[in-house]
Amino acid sequence: MIRSIAHKEFVSTLRDRRFLVLSALVLALLLLATLVGRRSHQALQQERALAQHTVNDQFQNQPARHPHRVAHYGSFAFRPKSGLSLLDAGVDSFTGAVVFLEAHHQNSVNFSQAQESGSLLRFGETTVAFVLQLLVPLLIIFLCFGAFGEEHETGTLKLLLSQGVTLRQVAWGKIRGYGQAVALVVAPALALAATLLFVGAEYAAGPDLLARLLLFVVGYAVYFFLIIVGSVVVSAWQRDSRTALVTLLGFWMLGGVILPKATANLGATLYPAITKAQMDTEVHAEAQKGMNGHDPQDQRSAALKEALLKKYGVDSEEKLPVSVGGLVMRESEEYSSRVYQQHFAALNATYERQNAISTWAGLLNPYQAIRPLSMGLAGSDFAHYVHFQEAAEAYRYGLVQRLNMLQAGMGYGDKERRLGAETWRQLPVFNYQLPTLAWALPHLLLPVLSLLLWAVGLSWLGLRLISKTSIV
Amino acid sequence: MNYILEARELRKEYPGRLALRGLNLQIAPGEVFCLLGQNGAGKSTTINLFLGFVAPTSGAAFVNGVEVAAQPLKIKEYLAYIPEQVMLYPHLTGLENLSLFSSLAGFQYKEPELQAYLARAGLSTEAARRRVGTYSKGMRQKVGIAIAVAKHAKVLLLDEPTSGLDPKASNEFSELLRQLSAEGTAVLMATHDIFRAKEVGTRVGIMREGKLVDVRPTAALNAHELEQLYLTYMHD
Repeated sequence: MIRSIAHKEFVSTLRDRRFLVLSALVLALLLLATLVGRRSHQALQQERALAQHTVNDQFQNQPARHPHRVAHYGSFAFRPKSGLSLLDAGVDSFTGAVVFLEAHHQNSVNFSQAQESGSLLRFGETTVAFVLQLLVPLLIIFLCFGAFGEEHETGTLKLLLSQGVTLRQVAWGKIRGYGQAVALVVAPALALAATLLFVGAEYAAGPDLLARLLLFVVGYAVYFFLIIVGSVVVSAWQRDSRTALVTLLGFWMLGGVILPKATANLGATLYPAITKAQMDTEVHAEAQKGMNGHDPQDQRSAALKEALLKKYGVDSEEKLPVSVGGLVMRESEEYSSRVYQQHFAALNATYERQNAISTWAGLLNPYQAIRPLSMGLAGSDFAHYVHFQEAAEAYRYGLVQRLNMLQAGMGYGDKERRLGAETWRQLPVFNYQLPTLAWALPHLLLPVLSLLLWAVGLSWLGLRLISKTSIV
Repeated sequence: MNYILEARELRKEYPGRLALRGLNLQIAPGEVFCLLGQNGAGKSTTINLFLGFVAPTSGAAFVNGVEVAAQPLKIKEYLAYIPEQVMLYPHLTGLENLSLFSSLAGFQYKEPELQAYLARAGLSTEAARRRVGTYSKGMRQKVGIAIAVAKHAKVLLLDEPTSGLDPKASNEFSELLRQLSAEGTAVLMATHDIFRAKEVGTRVGIMREGKLVDVRPTAALNAHELEQLYLTYMHD
């Protein structure tokens, strides 16, 4: 019975010119967003890979220099795009992509697409995720608003039920039929995206990407399912198709526009974050309490020198086997890095608390559940961004400390000497590995749980409501 | 005697309105019982109660000995229903509509069988292949009749079934009802059409303000007498 009703809904939908026009538009947008996403992804990826290769090359091919000069010469870390970010750019366009790595300073990630692009980007990008999260639900609303209302209005519901079908079976048949119609619109775009992902040489296609893509598809399938169920329930609850349409559009506005904005503002109000200038000032002020490697009069440097003289049993710096300057630099770097890490962790904790309000709102609003799940699976959410920042800082710290130790090993009078060019070729270059799905999943448990709760709760409660709908 | 349809003190009350006041009715297999009455007299409520679409306030309705309120799904195996306006699904053809409704009732017919049912209801092969959205009211009604016939139900519940049919189609419908009645199908038909009731009915019942005020065998009255009887009750 459910199958027969589903088939009827599917065939009727395909023969409905209004649906054909709307779905053709949505499909065209999806395909366009996939192709544009791929082009932009390809261009950015190539640009960043080339830039990373160039700066790595320049770093390793420096002439004979003092190690501390090399530490100040620094390098750059470019954030590679994840494969699935072609479907969901997430926060990538607004977070930076490049960080300058140098001694004493933990620079922020700069040069976001939003900074580099025209003002149009501020209106939002037409990504596949945008179409899937907001426009496909709109298509579903236009498809389902009359699911029960029209049956009531035309009297076909009584004819259906007189055949021995239950209201619950009619509802499930409709949900299945509409689901097939929606799949017909969405599947070609996702198939195209999968093909581009797995045939494009630039994408790191592997089991991790495949698993992310599968979960991405399953996540959206659940999202569309619950929107279909919700629309069918509203159409049964309201009975009048026009009232059902207005109600559903109201829910769409509330869930897609008003609640996300409201929760983001609430997060920022409850957990205000300090500005970058404020943080830099605070880090600088606190770092001053540590050793200053560039100040020969620094008392703490003098104390370290005394300790070294004692350790090596010599009476002057000239007789030390190590460079005091290098070790002072090492101590100074360790201290300033610790200060920075504390501030960085505090700032990130604030951002995470802000984001958590939106993520918890996923329990009230499915759009706010699919959005973090989609970004997380695409590797373009805030957690992935922080992962890159931490990796870049870990590399910077390791490199600078290694250079400080090279300096320390040069002994007294190191400032007058240089290390050969071959030294720099032995230093590791920045080679960022995108985090795996196993790393990402714990961050996505709440959105997954929210979506599942919505799907199960709405099916259970909604279908109970439908089965109690008045027939006459 | 075994009745296929039975109402015992059936009463239905809506907020602020008493739709049916203790209806007692028995219909035997092969009988065509026509319910006459003005709008709001309780004819459609009676049909809805037998279909299980509304719950009785008190009393009980039985179909083939099964209480409707207790087993609303079971009784639908015995029933077929034709509403006043058969709307169907406009994007499906007549054949597809019939196939859908038959499959929901548990009958999987092949196309020639579906064509035969539609032809028996008076719909041409060419029309059967067209989408229902292009049909007239009468053509949709014929598909509705085919749906009811294809279900091989023991009882037909008809709510103003000839409304909108042209005289030729109405006559064909009457003939079909006579055939089904002869095959043992019981019919409960709510109608305003006194002459059609006299023509196809074995008994007529006159309803007024939710009460069955008179029941007569049609054989005992001619059309004029039936009309006079009806008007008498309506003017009292």
